[in-house]
Amino acid sequence: MMQTLASAQPDILQKMFFGDTPAPSEAAAWSDGLFLMITWFSIFFFVVLMTLMVVFVIKYRRRPGVPAQPSPHHNLHIEILWTVIPSASMLVMFVYGFWGYSYKLVSPDNALELKIQGSKWSWIATYPNGASSPETQALSKVVDNENHVVTQGKEYPIFYVPEDTDIKLRMMSTDVIHSFWIPEFRTKMDVIPNRYTGFGFRTPKLNADETVVFHDAEANRDTIIAGRDMWVFCAEYCGDDHSRMAATLRIVTREVYDQKMADWSVQLSPIDAGKKIWTQICKSCHEVDGTRLVGPTWNSVKNGDGQFGYGYEAELVDGSTAMRDANYYRESILDPNAKVVKGFAPAMSSYQGQLSDEDIDNLIVYIQSLSDRDPNASENTDSDTDSANEEAGSDS
Amino acid sequence: MSTPDTHAGHHDEGSYLSGPPGMIARIWQWASTVDHKKIGVMYLFAVLFMFFLGGMSAIAVRYELLDPIRTQTTEIVNAAGDIETITVTTGEGLKELLGAVGLGDGLTGSQIYNRAFTLHGAIMVFMFIIPAIPAALGNFFLPIMLGAKDVAFPRLNLMSWYIYLFGCTFGVLSILLGGIDTGWTFYTPYSTTTDADHWRVVLMVMAAFILGFSSILTGLNFVVTVHKLRAPGMGWFDMPLMIWALYATSIIQVLATPVIGITLLLLVFERLFHIGIFDPALGGDPVLYQHFFWFYSHPVVYVMILPGMGIISEILAVHSRKHIFGYRAIAFSSLGIAGVSFLVWGHHIFTAMGELAAILFSGLTFLVAIPTAIKMFNWIATLYKSSIVINTPMMYALMFLFTFSIGGLTGLPLATLATDLHLHDSYYVVAHFHYVMMGGTVIAFMGGIHHWWPKMFGKMYSENGAMLGAAFVFVGFNLTFFTQFFLGTQGMPRRYANYVDEFQFLHQLSTYGSWILLVGFLIHLGVFIASLMAGEKAPANPWGGLTLEWECESPPIEHNFHHEPILKHGPYDFETVVPPHCDPKDYPLPENPGKH
Repeated sequence: MMQTLASAQPDILQKMFFGDTPAPSEAAAWSDGLFLMITWFSIFFFVVLMTLMVVFVIKYRRRPGVPAQPSPHHNLHIEILWTVIPSASMLVMFVYGFWGYSYKLVSPDNALELKIQGSKWSWIATYPNGASSPETQALSKVVDNENHVVTQGKEYPIFYVPEDTDIKLRMMSTDVIHSFWIPEFRTKMDVIPNRYTGFGFRTPKLNADETVVFHDAEANRDTIIAGRDMWVFCAEYCGDDHSRMAATLRIVTREVYDQKMADWSVQLSPIDAGKKIWTQICKSCHEVDGTRLVGPTWNSVKNGDGQFGYGYEAELVDGSTAMRDANYYRESILDPNAKVVKGFAPAMSSYQGQLSDEDIDNLIVYIQSLSDRDPNASENTDSDTDSANEEAGSDS
Repeated sequence: MSTPDTHAGHHDEGSYLSGPPGMIARIWQWASTVDHKKIGVMYLFAVLFMFFLGGMSAIAVRYELLDPIRTQTTEIVNAAGDIETITVTTGEGLKELLGAVGLGDGLTGSQIYNRAFTLHGAIMVFMFIIPAIPAALGNFFLPIMLGAKDVAFPRLNLMSWYIYLFGCTFGVLSILLGGIDTGWTFYTPYSTTTDADHWRVVLMVMAAFILGFSSILTGLNFVVTVHKLRAPGMGWFDMPLMIWALYATSIIQVLATPVIGITLLLLVFERLFHIGIFDPALGGDPVLYQHFFWFYSHPVVYVMILPGMGIISEILAVHSRKHIFGYRAIAFSSLGIAGVSFLVWGHHIFTAMGELAAILFSGLTFLVAIPTAIKMFNWIATLYKSSIVINTPMMYALMFLFTFSIGGLTGLPLATLATDLHLHDSYYVVAHFHYVMMGGTVIAFMGGIHHWWPKMFGKMYSENGAMLGAAFVFVGFNLTFFTQFFLGTQGMPRRYANYVDEFQFLHQLSTYGSWILLVGFLIHLGVFIASLMAGEKAPANPWGGLTLEWECESPPIEHNFHHEPILKHGPYDFETVVPPHCDPKDYPLPENPGKH
């Protein structure tokens, strides 16, 4: 029903509401289709109601000596009808809304996972190899004929992502609540202190005519490269410069992306940093090869004690189950007795205050890398050896 | 027929507006009154004053948004031969405006803007729209429509008025000390950490806390009054729909307001004593606040709109001389909305909650749309085969049907999860809730004031002037807010002092609309003042209404009725009853009255 409606409607509404550029991903197009379906539904009912109102007001306007004509005070059939029709229509909207919601939030296991950190009033994106983008640009920049440079706001970071790739965001705030909104992908999610949130999107393939200006700060030179820029806005009010908490999401070719990763790479990748913390702190109680110590092993393995590893459900002592995801591990580090795995004693103490947020992030990335359900699997192999870049480009 | 004029010997009772001679005696009479009508009138002027304050901060907000903030840099070679960079900032309209009168020193344009929109929200929600209809029109008309002399607890009523004044004093004090920038929602941990060394935020939070008690006491009073003081012969289904709406409203006020009280106290404790409840840095949960807050503030959306719906039911029936269609459906849908309103708070925080909770709240949210849709259909059906006169109250009722339909229908993509992820916290939401709150409640309130003005003050107003004002309000309102739907879908986030160039055209249209809106309300203000000064004397029943308030004089006497009224007919029995005190020229007898 939605598909037929979406295809039957002229472009005019889509352009009025969402501008000339078509939605960049299937999930976004789906969402626009649903929005327009609801809008057509609303326009239909609005026009019917208002037409009736205007017709009644004209036809039954008060005339001297003419009283209102008697008519029924209620009518069960018509009242049932106008209860059932809206209810049924809303059920349809609810179900489609639920589908589109999962479409927007769930990303495939092999998605490229970016870590987004929000703080008053800037965004930082960290890549799987630990690098973050040093490049910035103003959201709009015009040089007028008197050589005035007119910009809006300040210089905002540019987040590079490869084209035609599933991207997944893991986001957290260091202070107040923010919200990461990419209007073109029609999705936002709040960025909250002390808790991971996230969503996913698939970047489009670049068209031949899509270019952006790459500013090489060292050489002070502008080059035109294939790419597409999108705005990122903070959508949750966060104080003074809330309206200047923005970023540019730049979709580039895989080659440019890989080059950026190589250029920006840091000495110790998060996996290695996490492994280092494991060696120093965790190894006495947690093995990574399936061996049972005081605590459960971290790698993905199924043995007599149950199934272990990131991305697998844990059976808990109280009989319930919990998905071993990033929040699960974070909680287990900070509040270990909240969820104790079945067959193990609540022997661990909290590392609140001992491990920084970055340490915990790195540990979780390391734990992920030990699982065959590692969301960053394809990316991790990239950064291990530079020569693997070409393979990674073709396997996604 | 129980009409006051048929009973002689009671003319010594004067209008409630008449009082003892002498200024101080008059002021004391009003300040110490337990008359629900005087309290209602005092509320009316207080909420209209707050509407003015909130409106002026809205005009300030729109003024800032005429222009985005731009930075212009120029490199010049100075006399010494060095390169010098000159930076000029443009588009900080509010800062320039405040600077011209010597205010706003040391604040950036964004900071001033953030204060302006917070004041707009806090004043409009806590001090204007929640008390507006129940406390002003409700106080005046609920007892009269029930045929009672007063509310059940008149002294409690006076106390709730003073609590309201006390709360407003805190709010105004907070503004005078420099204002706050938390947003009216006080989201944590921002609200518990911002402006940490000052009392302003605490003052405003305490204002909202205190105002809550005023709201609870009014609600409690109304519930008891409706249960206990109905005129003899008035069963539950003989009550006017305005009473049903106020009854449902009062139940929400009594049940939900304590929750916001507790929440705001916790917030104050966290700010002052650093007890970790909401701030994760102190071991709290930031999203918990949002759950607490919306557990109150969503039901309160219906505290705002249900009385407006009650007004619309009255206006449509009286000015089209028609029995309301589906009386019971409208009455029960008010109660239905009140019940379901407690289960949908989660739709304000879809982007901050787990997937399962979001799905459940989305489903429940659609439930609340159905009783609202039923009311719309009933109102339109009431017009069928009626006798419609177009005057100011009726014009406002028809405007309500137009704008509130848009407000309701544009809520559907917000209840739909997939589309809400895009629209949440964008200008689309701003447009949607202004169509509901302003296009619904404020428009209905304006209609109600015009409908009952002759009764409240015993004076008629200039019909032409009021219609002109209504036309400006309608055009201005739609220009201001319809543009914002498109801003939202195109990616403009709310609460932004600054924006990218692409949005400027729509922002400018919206600002021009706000000026037209301002002109409309100023015209209304002039019409009201002219009416009070030199208005024609109003008859007891200028519109031919059948509810009990039209049976007492305009303005009503101190005890409302000369004798306790006995209900002889339903509130909307226009087909069988000729309303008393109605000019026969204006209202001819039906040829075959009352044969069914």
